[in-house]
Amino acid sequence: MDGFGGTILRINLETGDVKRTPTPPDFAREWMGARGFVAKTLYDEVPRDADPLGPDNLFIMAPGVMTGSFAPCGSKIGFGCISPATNGHADSNMGGMLGAEVKYAGYDMVVFERISPEPVYLYIDDDTVEIRPAKDYWGMGSLDLEKRMKEDLGEDFQIATIGPAGENGVVFSCITHDFGRQAGRCGVGAVMGSKKVKAIAVRGTKSLSVHDVAAMTKSTYDIIQRTKPHPLMDPWQKYGTALFVGWANEHGCFPTRNFQTTFHDKWPEISGEKLAEEILITHKACFGCWMNCGKYSVAKIPGKPDTYVEGPEYETIALCGGNCAMEDIHHVAYANWLCDNLGLDTMSSGNTIGFAMELYEKGIITKDDLEGHELRWGNIDDFEHVIKMIADRRGIGEVLSYGTKGAAERLGQGTIDIASQSKGMEFSGYDTRWYSAQLLSYCTSDIGAHHNRSWAITADIQIGQDTPKGKAPVVIYLQHIRPLFDTWCCCRLFWGELDITPEEHVDTIQYLTGWDVTMDECMQVSEKIWNLNRAHYLERNGGPGRQFDVAPARHLEEEVPDGPAKGHTVGRENFEYMLDDYYYNRGWDKQGNPTREVLEILGIGYAADNLEKAGLLGEPFEDGVPKVRGEKLKPKAM
Amino acid sequence: MKIKVTKENCTGCKLCQQICTIEHYGEVNPKKAAIRVTGEFPEPGVFTPKLCVQCGACARACPFDAIERREDKVYVINPETCTNCGVCVEACPFDVMFVHADAPTPIKCDMCLKCTEVCNTGALTVVD
Amino acid sequence: MIVYLRSGGKLRDVLRPDIDDYTRKVEVDDGLSIEQILAVLQIAPAMVAFAFADGTVRKLDYVPTDGETITLQSPVAGG
Repeated sequence: MDGFGGTILRINLETGDVKRTPTPPDFAREWMGARGFVAKTLYDEVPRDADPLGPDNLFIMAPGVMTGSFAPCGSKIGFGCISPATNGHADSNMGGMLGAEVKYAGYDMVVFERISPEPVYLYIDDDTVEIRPAKDYWGMGSLDLEKRMKEDLGEDFQIATIGPAGENGVVFSCITHDFGRQAGRCGVGAVMGSKKVKAIAVRGTKSLSVHDVAAMTKSTYDIIQRTKPHPLMDPWQKYGTALFVGWANEHGCFPTRNFQTTFHDKWPEISGEKLAEEILITHKACFGCWMNCGKYSVAKIPGKPDTYVEGPEYETIALCGGNCAMEDIHHVAYANWLCDNLGLDTMSSGNTIGFAMELYEKGIITKDDLEGHELRWGNIDDFEHVIKMIADRRGIGEVLSYGTKGAAERLGQGTIDIASQSKGMEFSGYDTRWYSAQLLSYCTSDIGAHHNRSWAITADIQIGQDTPKGKAPVVIYLQHIRPLFDTWCCCRLFWGELDITPEEHVDTIQYLTGWDVTMDECMQVSEKIWNLNRAHYLERNGGPGRQFDVAPARHLEEEVPDGPAKGHTVGRENFEYMLDDYYYNRGWDKQGNPTREVLEILGIGYAADNLEKAGLLGEPFEDGVPKVRGEKLKPKAM
Repeated sequence: MKIKVTKENCTGCKLCQQICTIEHYGEVNPKKAAIRVTGEFPEPGVFTPKLCVQCGACARACPFDAIERREDKVYVINPETCTNCGVCVEACPFDVMFVHADAPTPIKCDMCLKCTEVCNTGALTVVD
Repeated sequence: MIVYLRSGGKLRDVLRPDIDDYTRKVEVDDGLSIEQILAVLQIAPAMVAFAFADGTVRKLDYVPTDGETITLQSPVAGG
């Protein structure tokens, strides 16, 4: 089958059995890879009452249709499971080199079932697939282990690892690869750890079967030549995502001190310019990417060893930096390294530790809870101590290991009001009180709050920051197009920044697979996946859906106290307005439950049947659901 | 004409490896490329592209005279006379003769220059 | 003075290039800062994360020289 590896692996970790089946062409065509494969497989196979850290959960690794091809940045690979943070569908995407390697070894999906009695790692060398003992590796840091496994197995192998945090089941544990790329969100590292899988090592030497190599090559070659002189190539190559720290501060959306405010007066000390000046070693690319936005750096702090890490990216600077009031780029890079090596998502870590810092400030957490240590704003030693407690799940670290929502539920005392999360996953590095479309994006995201589902900040600017009107359709459009890149598995930055059109990506898929596919079809696949995940979430968590699409009180009711966004907040009335508008435009009823009509339009009527059995099907629309669900923002400057 | 490698500019994207294999085999498979990018991570955190410098050691070592020097001083393997014995691979002082199970001969750079056309960082450039 | 503004992505649509796919040529009074030039073009300064001139990042209070090319980057979701 052109464009795909050809085989699906199922690994029973209890028995050690490895089953190979050919990838069904209609499955590949319908779901396109990664996020799509994960959504359908989890929906079909995981019992609705499965414990995310128990044996009935699945842990899935799947590249997408464009992975490993000569497509613009065909680098991505997806990981999926039921998330221990949200108790819903999770998929988390990762760049680097692993995805291509898995494709060249011949695989389109690896499904891990059950739990291994002993620590193991998955070894793939083309057709050789083995579950190997990993007792010697258990307990090692993620980055340390990758180095060790490259030495043990050879440089040719691509390695992905979990750290001690994943072994211990911290709900925001991540998977690390290529010395700094992560499948960061949703706690995928915890599920991998619950199955006692410490690492994945892959070497693939086969050629990828392609329908029309010449056409695909010409298309991408022409795109490369066209985009080399693109005006934005230079800043992206030089600075990467860290360059937006200044803008976020100057426009009042930079998380500061647990989102207490949105402007950090020391931001120049932790900016992208500071990164380039003080800690940058090399620019680093994912497979097939000529924009190389990755920044590999070294943190040098007196009294601590030098630490090497890919980053810090914008999100890490926002959440480990501003949100914890750090004032030194070396400290932020060191925090990045701590997270990566312990195997923790930098975003949820920075968010959760900032939350804990505020609790310490308020006296809800004390030195006794912290083994005699403090937890001061901006203090890297305190950060280091508490993050190690979290990774170990000891003392207050055990409470914090559940993320901000889980910790707030355990601590009580109204702490849920200052937990910046939705559905149990922490907000990304953008405060939303002056950006209501972004708040709507976070709170309606299927995997919990995450900007990769919808980043609507410029939509807020163009539509008007103070109005709730007109935002929902744009958020829906973004929720279809952005995760499409997690299904196709190429990096969305080329579309977003270098003006490669989605239609050009679709052309690449046609050359790759021979499919007669259009952009409309791809968007419908993305909408289908979205709705399937919604149905799955409701079946697992009950309904109605509206009770889960909630905004934290801080972002709804507290006005920003200072800085450029001073005085702003979204307000409950505006939020409810946007939610009503969102549900209508999705073809969901006022309670946030999908209707039979929209599910059947999308070809997943079986999801309607299951929702109906569970009493969770949405009330039908009298005049029919909107024919067009989601609307691209029309460019407007002022 | 030579390919100049400026390793400080290399970001490890492997576009060069991809285009090399497509150009020579019509296949998508970076492991059949005549150029390889290796990384030294976590320390010092740098990439090095490696490819044939056309020194001729392979030709001198070949027991079957299967490696010929073109007029432009580029050494190329003659697939008709090569027996895939691997002596040239051992003889290469820079470890830039590559092997792949599916390739009928060892793989070396023939200076097609396609890698320099896709490289966007100045790591691979053409010089006189 | 003449200033050439270049951009891509979301900001390009708003900029309305006229010289090539990415570039808009504008003629404005001498001494205007980038922010002031954006106001003349009715582009919200919030749509510009930073400017890039001569390989250097510039704030929006930067005053271009006659004939200078300024690249404008819109804010974008970071990683």
